[in-house]
Amino acid sequence: MQLTTFNYDNKIVRDFAIATIVWGIVGMSVGLLVAVQLIWPFMNFDLQYTTFGRIRPLHTNAVIFAFVGNAIFMGVYYSLQRLLKARMYSDVLSRIHFWGWQLIILAAALTLPLGLTTSHEYAELEWPIDVGLTIIWVVFGINMFGTIIKRRERHMYVAIWFYIATFVTVAVLHIVNSVQLPVSMWKSYYLYAGVQDALVQWWYGHNAVAFFLTTPYLGMMYYFLPKMANRPVYSYKLSILHFWSLIFIYIWAGPHHLLYTALPEWVQSLGVVFSIMLIAPSWGGMINGLLTLRGAWDKVRTDPTLKFMVVALTAYGMATFEGPMLSLKQVNAIAHFTDWIVAHVHVGALGWNGFMTFGILYWLVPRIYKTELYSKKLASVHFWIGTLGILFYAIPMYWAAVVQGLMWKEFTPEGVLKYPNFLATTLQIIPMHMLRAIGGTLYLAGALLMTYNLVKTMRQGRLLANEPAQAPELAPVVVNERAVHRRLERKPALFMVLALITILIGGMVQMMPTFMISSNVPTISSVLPYTALELQGRDLYIREGCVNCHSQTVRPFRSETARYGDYSMAGEYVYDHPFLWGSKRTGPDLHRIGGKYPNKWHFDHMLDPTITSPGSIMPAYPWLSEQLLDTTTTKAKLNAMRLLGVPYSDDEVNTGNLRLWQQAEAIAADLQEQGVAVRPDHEIVALIAYLQRLGTDIKNTGASASQSATNQ
Amino acid sequence: MFKQITELSGNEWYLIVSLWIFLLFFIGVGIFLFRMRKDHIQYMKNRPMDDGEGHDEPFSI
Repeated sequence: MQLTTFNYDNKIVRDFAIATIVWGIVGMSVGLLVAVQLIWPFMNFDLQYTTFGRIRPLHTNAVIFAFVGNAIFMGVYYSLQRLLKARMYSDVLSRIHFWGWQLIILAAALTLPLGLTTSHEYAELEWPIDVGLTIIWVVFGINMFGTIIKRRERHMYVAIWFYIATFVTVAVLHIVNSVQLPVSMWKSYYLYAGVQDALVQWWYGHNAVAFFLTTPYLGMMYYFLPKMANRPVYSYKLSILHFWSLIFIYIWAGPHHLLYTALPEWVQSLGVVFSIMLIAPSWGGMINGLLTLRGAWDKVRTDPTLKFMVVALTAYGMATFEGPMLSLKQVNAIAHFTDWIVAHVHVGALGWNGFMTFGILYWLVPRIYKTELYSKKLASVHFWIGTLGILFYAIPMYWAAVVQGLMWKEFTPEGVLKYPNFLATTLQIIPMHMLRAIGGTLYLAGALLMTYNLVKTMRQGRLLANEPAQAPELAPVVVNERAVHRRLERKPALFMVLALITILIGGMVQMMPTFMISSNVPTISSVLPYTALELQGRDLYIREGCVNCHSQTVRPFRSETARYGDYSMAGEYVYDHPFLWGSKRTGPDLHRIGGKYPNKWHFDHMLDPTITSPGSIMPAYPWLSEQLLDTTTTKAKLNAMRLLGVPYSDDEVNTGNLRLWQQAEAIAADLQEQGVAVRPDHEIVALIAYLQRLGTDIKNTGASASQSATNQ
Repeated sequence: MFKQITELSGNEWYLIVSLWIFLLFFIGVGIFLFRMRKDHIQYMKNRPMDDGEGHDEPFSI
């Protein structure tokens, strides 16, 4: 068979590697800043653009989509070309992909601090950026499938299956979770409301972890680990079983993020069962990776890249054991909303994603620069600093979680909450937050060390932008292969369709009944749409990212009903586009905050939280008392809500601002009586209106008792 | 934990059907695996080792 000569595109790999390093440092630095703000809230420098609620999403987006995203593309572009023995399909598409992705990251970095957010976790970017993201993802897909089509290797290696599953699933997740109705250029409302919105969001959120942070990395593991260890993967059969069962099971597990909420019980149970089952394929992958190193453990002692890979796999094993355990309702009852979840995701992000990225960078950069690594010793130092950083991060967070989770639930012998003031439980764990910040600093220091090492490596070598390679062209298939999977491995389109069907099953089984059978979301007659002012206030709540620290879902536990009030019911959220249940309680739940305190309390609290809650770590929001409320959007917002099914009358829409001012003036007059001079056209008035409305509708009726049986 | 599966007020069938779907899927993948030939598996296992670079000498760092 005649060999043909071609070149691998190393320049695109190098570009994504540099972007990985740069955005990694940015994302980790912002992470450190938000960690410090949870000790000293003034570290927002009294600026609204650097306040926790706005930059915490910046941190998560930067780490997930900028650091990990670029690392995925670096790994995929390097390994795909070599596994298929073909240059990427189009250099132009590669460049569009690279620069388009960086532009999206830049757009996120600009809009999130401005408070332009949808509030859906890990999907905060507003609709124009969502559209851009879709286009760039399609560009990536065309480039990937184009390369697969022009390949010189008939069968696709397991790494490529993971890349295909990643592409197709992320596309589905992104599209379904981004169905929004634009109100203006930078404001939109989700199509779904309340319980349904929560189900879609956590189907997305959980599977963003699965198909953005896990499957592409598993693909990279299956390519780079054998290369580093210079031995084939332990079991190819296990990798097939691992792949299909992982992508099938993962998609069902999302509801474990919503245990004890108003989500139908059967959906919660499905989430729990499939989460437990998820241990098997996850550990199958980890074991396959670790056993690939059998007979090569001596190399681990001396080779820093393998050290990073071993810790990455171990962290993957820990995180994928911990995830199912957290899905058990008994564990979830204590751990949910605490720092346990923060620790859990960081074991995955710092250990699995971070360490594998570092290992691949140390392995790959010297190769494409045709040189040796500048300093093996520095890489080892990075490994130990990074490992210490993970430990200093995770252990105090677990400790904080157990301490705070138990404090929330503790009663005195007299039967009242032992710590009725939420703040007391927050202050108890500040020392653990300090240790966590030290862990983050260590981890970031390690990344900076790596940057120095790799820059020196690049300088001492020279990029081989077009790396020559040889392979015979593919001959036509003349023999029909009997083994089904073997045939499948050479049919990328069929493979993609099967992967798509596999990942669609779980989502459909959970979502279709929840959306189509009305008994799954019973309505409550006394629950009414928000007034125009409350709606504007709600959008300010979203803009400031309050959902990052405050939940809006009271679970049916004695410890929660005693602290907050009646537990939350599905029918209370039917007009909530989007839902704002949250996933972490750095501060208390707010679903029953309405009417609990006078307007002046809220005014003081937002102006400076330490006035009402001495020692509070909540940042001050003085700008809300200074900035004017934008009422030009009121009609458009009411119209959009009506289009989404909220029953506003023509009169309510047309006289929206008139009604808004009437309510605002009443609140301003009440504040005036309490000695606070604030004009009704300031943002704080709208926010107070919204907070005072929260959770009050069911108090107007006896519905709570009768609905509870159906709902919960 | 089993209470979470068995006490679903009439909605158990969602769960049972889901588990059946998974079981059938899992059996299908198992059949895939049993029908695979050893030489193909060996070939595929070694794919990362042969990436057509022509000078695939191991770089050390």
